[in-house]
Amino acid sequence: MVRRALAVLAVAGMLVLAGCAGRGQQSEESNASGPVTLKFWNGFTGPDRPAVEELVKRFNESQDQAKIQMEIMPWDVFFDKLLPSLSSGTGPDIAGMDTAQVPQYAVKKALKPVDDYYTQSGNEADKLIPAAVQGATFEGTKYSVPMNFTTLLLYWNKGMFKEAGLDPERPPANWDQFADYAKKLTKDTNGDGKPEQYGLAIADHETIAMWPILFWQNGGGVVSEDGKKAMLGDPATIQAANHWVDLVRNDKIAPIGLGGADADKLFQSKKAAMEIVGPWMTTGFKDAGIDFGLAMPPAGPKEAVTLGTSVGFTVSAKADQRKTEAAYEFFKFWNSKESQVYWSVHSGFPPNRTDISAAELKENPYVAAFAAPADKSRFYLSNVQEFQKVNETLFEPALQRVLNGKANVQDAFGKASSDIQTVLDGS
Amino acid sequence: MSTATELPAPPTVPPPPRRPGRARGSLARRQALAAWAFMLPSLVVLAVFVVYPMTQALYLSFTEYNVLQPARWVGLENYQRLVSDPAFHNALLNTLYYAAVTTPVSVALALGLAILLNRRLPLRGFLRTSVFLPVVLSLAIVAIAWNFLLDPNIGLLSYWLSKVGIVSEQGWLRDPALAMPAVMAVGIWKNVGFYMVMYLAGLQSIPRELHEAASIDGAGPWKRFRRITWPLLANQTMLITILAAIATLQAFDQIYVMTRGGPFFSTETVVMMIYRVGFTEFGFGYASAMSWVLVLLIFGLSMAQMAYFRKRTVTY
Amino acid sequence: MAATAAPAPVGRSPGVVRAWRALTLVGVLAIAAVMLLPLIWMVATSFKPEADIVKFPPALLPDRVTFEHYREVWQRIPFARLYLNTIIFAGGVTLISLLLDSMTAYALARLRFPGRNVVFVAILVMLMLPFQVTLIPLYDLLVGLGWTNTLQGLIVPRATNAFGIFFLRQFLLSLPRDLEEAARIDGASEFTIYRKVIMPLAAPALLTLGLFHFMYNWNDLLWPLIINQDQSHQTLPAGLALFMGQHVVEFGILMAASVLALIPVVLFFLVIQRRFVEGIATTGIRG
Repeated sequence: MVRRALAVLAVAGMLVLAGCAGRGQQSEESNASGPVTLKFWNGFTGPDRPAVEELVKRFNESQDQAKIQMEIMPWDVFFDKLLPSLSSGTGPDIAGMDTAQVPQYAVKKALKPVDDYYTQSGNEADKLIPAAVQGATFEGTKYSVPMNFTTLLLYWNKGMFKEAGLDPERPPANWDQFADYAKKLTKDTNGDGKPEQYGLAIADHETIAMWPILFWQNGGGVVSEDGKKAMLGDPATIQAANHWVDLVRNDKIAPIGLGGADADKLFQSKKAAMEIVGPWMTTGFKDAGIDFGLAMPPAGPKEAVTLGTSVGFTVSAKADQRKTEAAYEFFKFWNSKESQVYWSVHSGFPPNRTDISAAELKENPYVAAFAAPADKSRFYLSNVQEFQKVNETLFEPALQRVLNGKANVQDAFGKASSDIQTVLDGS
Repeated sequence: MSTATELPAPPTVPPPPRRPGRARGSLARRQALAAWAFMLPSLVVLAVFVVYPMTQALYLSFTEYNVLQPARWVGLENYQRLVSDPAFHNALLNTLYYAAVTTPVSVALALGLAILLNRRLPLRGFLRTSVFLPVVLSLAIVAIAWNFLLDPNIGLLSYWLSKVGIVSEQGWLRDPALAMPAVMAVGIWKNVGFYMVMYLAGLQSIPRELHEAASIDGAGPWKRFRRITWPLLANQTMLITILAAIATLQAFDQIYVMTRGGPFFSTETVVMMIYRVGFTEFGFGYASAMSWVLVLLIFGLSMAQMAYFRKRTVTY
Repeated sequence: MAATAAPAPVGRSPGVVRAWRALTLVGVLAIAAVMLLPLIWMVATSFKPEADIVKFPPALLPDRVTFEHYREVWQRIPFARLYLNTIIFAGGVTLISLLLDSMTAYALARLRFPGRNVVFVAILVMLMLPFQVTLIPLYDLLVGLGWTNTLQGLIVPRATNAFGIFFLRQFLLSLPRDLEEAARIDGASEFTIYRKVIMPLAAPALLTLGLFHFMYNWNDLLWPLIINQDQSHQTLPAGLALFMGQHVVEFGILMAASVLALIPVVLFFLVIQRRFVEGIATTGIRG
């Protein structure tokens, strides 16, 4: 009766558990004489993945002291998984993450400082791009080693320039030209108020930072470089914002409400003539048959600057001496000349090293262009502990409100700025 | 409310004579024991893997917890914060708006489709499958599809609609006024098949003879629906309405993949905010407090629904 | 079959009947088109060369058809392995869950005992807390049990399901009460009644619930990804997610993989759908 039910259940349960007897939890311990196993997580899905996997494979094959076990998943899932695993001690030894995310983990002591990597001779850390090394620094301490680095450049569609009567080989060099060209390239042929073609594709959420570049170029910004002072309410920022928001709202040079992916699709489908974005779109744009040029974003009144962004290798605070040494070996291998040439050519990201010539990278003709402005690049929200809160909860909504005409720049940015300052002060 | 026409009474076997009292008691005891035995495996699993984490979450709601460092007790502070937090009020309003529209529309559509697809119809199997397929599709992938289709500049749907004069300048998902209706539409589209299938299962258990007898007596389709179908479906309706309410009040997935709660929080629901505060801002204590407030809300609503339906459902 | 065919309306001319039929057909196709549009887009995209996917003016059907994405899927990810893992996971959860859910629902619907309503309400409450807050405590618990990266860690927390219990309870409540009385009086054990009398009648509900469990777990990305630490244990959604880069989504191959991943669930539904048509739902009303 009831006993039978329980018996069936017990048997079923035992079968399940027996079937699992073979699959135990991965042991994190390595015996003293075998290779050290390093768990390495990152978010390089998509077309970047093959290059990452190849380099990891090469490292594993090149020596037998350390073995990298890599797991790749999309970035949002990556962070969802990272959090509980860090708290329960089942996290990765090496986590690749955007340097903007590093501070919040560093401050909670989840990551190990890696200053000694940079001072160890033989790691050739002096050959790394200074901007990338700067990005790896938080409050004076280095918490990551560059895994990738890139700047953003202005893409322009030469065919559309020509159609609009502009010289296809001369991209805008300053803000006046930028605005002027954008207006010329915006076409509303059927007069319904919605352009069929936009001069510019610029994203205001879920994107790599595009608007902040405009603020920097006028001497403004979202937060000061030392991460201590909110600059969103500064006159320079407000002036830049007003200038460009006007152009977007009144001259309709760009659609409102684009995410990063939307902006890419707009340029790729030839509905926008210009976009400021990273090297990952070169293949897609080329395959779409677009004859595009690459240049530094048009200089602003105060500065010619672009965004620098980098994913870095971080080491878990729980990694012991052996694992840390093995990790350093991996970082050294990754950033060696040979690996970096392979990486650049196959992923499209510029190399992390300063000593690779354009000739060595000629298989991928665009890479050199993205490497060039490295010293004119700035990291977004560097030294800010609560990146998401400042960017996604405070800055982007304020920008979106302004673009949607729900508030004026002065009010929205002023309020956001003081909220941001509260967050900066509290951390 | 009148119940259905009397069902023919099933044949019963007269019980053999028994000693009253003790036999009754032992029958009841036997049933009770059997009941607990039946429920034991489920209850054990639920207790360990659901109730225990829930109590943890309850504890965390009285703390400040960023996952990486030990939780710090703060008492009722999180709850007090919620009372005056405009972001939470916004999320709550959005959630209620979302649920208030999506639930009745989904249920009504599901019922209509189920009734339609319970009759003999050409391509009935094909239509049932098409209505159900969105349920089966992975939401992340479907969001990519919808983003492509609804893109105001290069989207297929926008393109077709523009040919008949319907143009959205900014796009249905990017315009703060249209984003919520767009997300609702996708939510309804995705789930209506789910409820329809449940209704179909219920419709199948209404004996054909009832309808036949009624229509011979001259009852038209609407009357038959009101007097036979609707009351006999009451169990399903209760199930579906409560489930739909619980699900829509916890709306997260379609919002996360389509708008991430934007533009500027106009589609942020409570669970979306819980995710944002918990996972991206590391405020798990506050997020837990929010979820328990949500539980209270959902619980209150569900109990009200159950009370409403209790008088109306048919249990034999 | 319990559906009614409306008795032929008297006095309608064949023309009107045909017009109605045509209208119904148009209506059916319109509804189907709305429901299926994204799926049609997905399938069409899976046959388009990558360069043709993002373009203006947009076209639904491919100009040039290619099978390269379907070929590439098998090379880029261990698709067969992912399929197998997902079948084990979703299938395992479904089977075990059906057993446990139905047993609990039987107790709640067909047996009388004190505390019945309390248990039911308690189970209902479990549906009301968003998983985002219980994820981390649950994960910690599994780590404590040593169950991360194991099959039992993946399946047991889902071995029973508040939704399933609720669903089956409602269904079982609508079966006539006297069904079991005769058997009880004859001295049959509750388990026999459960197995031989009630469960066969609950077949449509069990199939439906089975479909729901299967489909939910088949498409679940976060849970298996968080529990599994080993690439070889990963499930289909995790594999599909590998085609979604941070900046570049490989649409063609992603859609091809999604279409392939859809097939089992769609098949499952088609099988059930036919059983509805065959009308297993002649419930015990006829005694």
